[in-house]
Amino acid sequence: MFLVSLVGPPNSGKTTLFNLLSGQKVKTVNYPGATIEYYHSKIDKKFGFDVELIDTPGIISLIPASIDEIITIDGIYSHPEYGTPDLIITTVDASQLSRHLVLVNDLIEANFNVVVAITMNDILARKNFEIDFSKLSNELSIPVIKIDTLKENGIDNLVKIIKDYSEKNKNQKEIKRINEDTLALVEKYNKISEIEKKVMISKNSGIINLLNDFKNLHKPDDISLKIDAILLSKTWGLLFFFFAMSVTFASVFWVAAPIMDLIDYGFAYISEWITTLFGINWLTQLLANGLVAGFGSVAVFVPQILILFLILGLLEDSGYLARGAMLVDKPLSKLGLNGRSFAPMVSGFACAVPAIMAARTIPNRRERLLTIFILPLLSCSARIPVYLLLIGFLVPTTGSLTAGIILASIYLLSIVSSLVAAGIINKFKNSIIPNQDHSSFILELPTYKKPKFNNVFFNAFTSTKSYIIGAGPIILIFSIVLWALTFFPAGIDNSISNENGNFEQQLIENSYASNIGKFLEPAVSPLGVDWRVGVAIITSFAAREVFVSSMALMFQVNISDEDSIQKSLLKNMQKAKKSDGTKVFTTSSIIGLIVFFIIAMQCVSTLAITKKETGSWRMPILQFVIYTISAYILAVSSVNLIKFLGIA
Amino acid sequence: MKFRNASQLLKGEQSQILDIDYSHPSARRIIEVGFTPGEEIIVVGKSAFNDPIAYSVRGTVIAIRKSEASCIQVR
Repeated sequence: MFLVSLVGPPNSGKTTLFNLLSGQKVKTVNYPGATIEYYHSKIDKKFGFDVELIDTPGIISLIPASIDEIITIDGIYSHPEYGTPDLIITTVDASQLSRHLVLVNDLIEANFNVVVAITMNDILARKNFEIDFSKLSNELSIPVIKIDTLKENGIDNLVKIIKDYSEKNKNQKEIKRINEDTLALVEKYNKISEIEKKVMISKNSGIINLLNDFKNLHKPDDISLKIDAILLSKTWGLLFFFFAMSVTFASVFWVAAPIMDLIDYGFAYISEWITTLFGINWLTQLLANGLVAGFGSVAVFVPQILILFLILGLLEDSGYLARGAMLVDKPLSKLGLNGRSFAPMVSGFACAVPAIMAARTIPNRRERLLTIFILPLLSCSARIPVYLLLIGFLVPTTGSLTAGIILASIYLLSIVSSLVAAGIINKFKNSIIPNQDHSSFILELPTYKKPKFNNVFFNAFTSTKSYIIGAGPIILIFSIVLWALTFFPAGIDNSISNENGNFEQQLIENSYASNIGKFLEPAVSPLGVDWRVGVAIITSFAAREVFVSSMALMFQVNISDEDSIQKSLLKNMQKAKKSDGTKVFTTSSIIGLIVFFIIAMQCVSTLAITKKETGSWRMPILQFVIYTISAYILAVSSVNLIKFLGIA
Repeated sequence: MKFRNASQLLKGEQSQILDIDYSHPSARRIIEVGFTPGEEIIVVGKSAFNDPIAYSVRGTVIAIRKSEASCIQVR
């Protein structure tokens, strides 16, 4: 089928145009280079003909500067699935004509069929300029269309051109890769500047000083400049930065926590309903404790992921994220990271999987690998149910200030540990991650604008959905395997019955899980806990939040209680005794567990995506070994230190 | 006459690009985003740690590191 690709520089309105052509909403963002994936669609049915559309990530020229751009540019020349485009629509910001025509020039030089769509004409009009479209079309020898994406003007003209091209089936010239030296690039720019001067019409009546008008044309947005004077400054800029980050994490928490409780309670209710309705047998146990509990542990952290991506989307779309990246570039570069590590790092607080993928926008390979390496240390949302449970044990009243302070300290500790890890690995320099190219930070600071809520919401929704699809099945499978390990072989042994009321107790004690746990008890006893917690820790390597449902299984939460799973689990944890009669859970053992969860690499999905993104098993193996061993050593040390200080 | 480079410009200062040090590894990308000889640039802001520096160039604002700005020779 006839393939139309949309190609354009970052912030040129490309994705908005794609939305209008496809009639389908896709991600449109304000942070340069944020669209990594391609979006594919058929042209909207209302136009009455059939062509395929691809939206490509924003690029500046056809010569790549990062892995991200190599993928993008290869995909433009020949997409692995859809092939070489028959027609390229390239978007150009009218107020950035002299910069954005560079890419247009490259595309023409590479022999593509190109149509130029000029966007943001309203911004140009505010500068008292307009473009002579027919003149520009003559200069470039290709069609040029004026588009107003807000009022959807000009779309019909563009669609007509696409239709003509698709019907004509023009003989395509041979596509060639372009390569030029830097001097040729300067020449190209000079040529483009000449074109800009020819096609720009000043709307000031009685032009006297064209030179002054042109200065006005090349002046950035005034309001943005004024905002940046504050937001990039030493005191206020940094204050605002910390304020914005604190608000982000606090609201993720406050907004998500009640929804989480509701989800938790809901799944507990369904579990209970299944067993009371159909009695206790292996099938109802599989449904209630395996499947429903598994779905519950996938669903429980969806609110946090969704809310964090919503806020991240707002920061991105408003233009602040690029400023944030600029502010932290200097300190991060000292640790071998990059200002561009900022957005992936914030995403890491939702989930390491999309965060690791977002690291593609870091041009320097070493900085990119280092960013990927430390991302699992940032406190992802899968750890929140674990922390809530453990903090709930330390501070029984939920929502108290103390609980808040402990949680904030955990987050701070996770940030510190990631920076320390980056600093240490950076010292080893070439032995762990070889240095290949020089470090760079070149980022456009887009004009501040009011975020488009539809786009932000759609974007957050897509990220959350891709997470559920990506990590959900692994968590579900492990939940069922875990259930089977705690149910068999005792569950099908008829000698165990529910008559004396301790059916589940007997089940666990005679299960495979207990065999494994007891075998590993010497490894977990330095943490001050017994084999049951050992089993829960092992299962948490599937995904961290599985720890909570494992704990519920290991400590026989009685679902017929009116409480949520968490409340009854906390009660049972208070009562739990080791074989020597001492308590399993004390301040020291709980803090030990928290420390372990901050550092340990316990996520199969993260290891898989690291392997995919770095192209070898080296990085995920290093992450797994280094973080898990450090977590264990630090946790054992914390437990002993707290005991030594005389706290239980 | 001794020329300055763009990293030496003060906040708010305006100048014209004279030349680019083409041997700098970032030179190509710096030119691609719009820093070409003859263009007017203004320092619109410096990061809280004075690095990177944001320049107004060709109607937009681009932030680049000090070390990269040093390859831009200005009047």
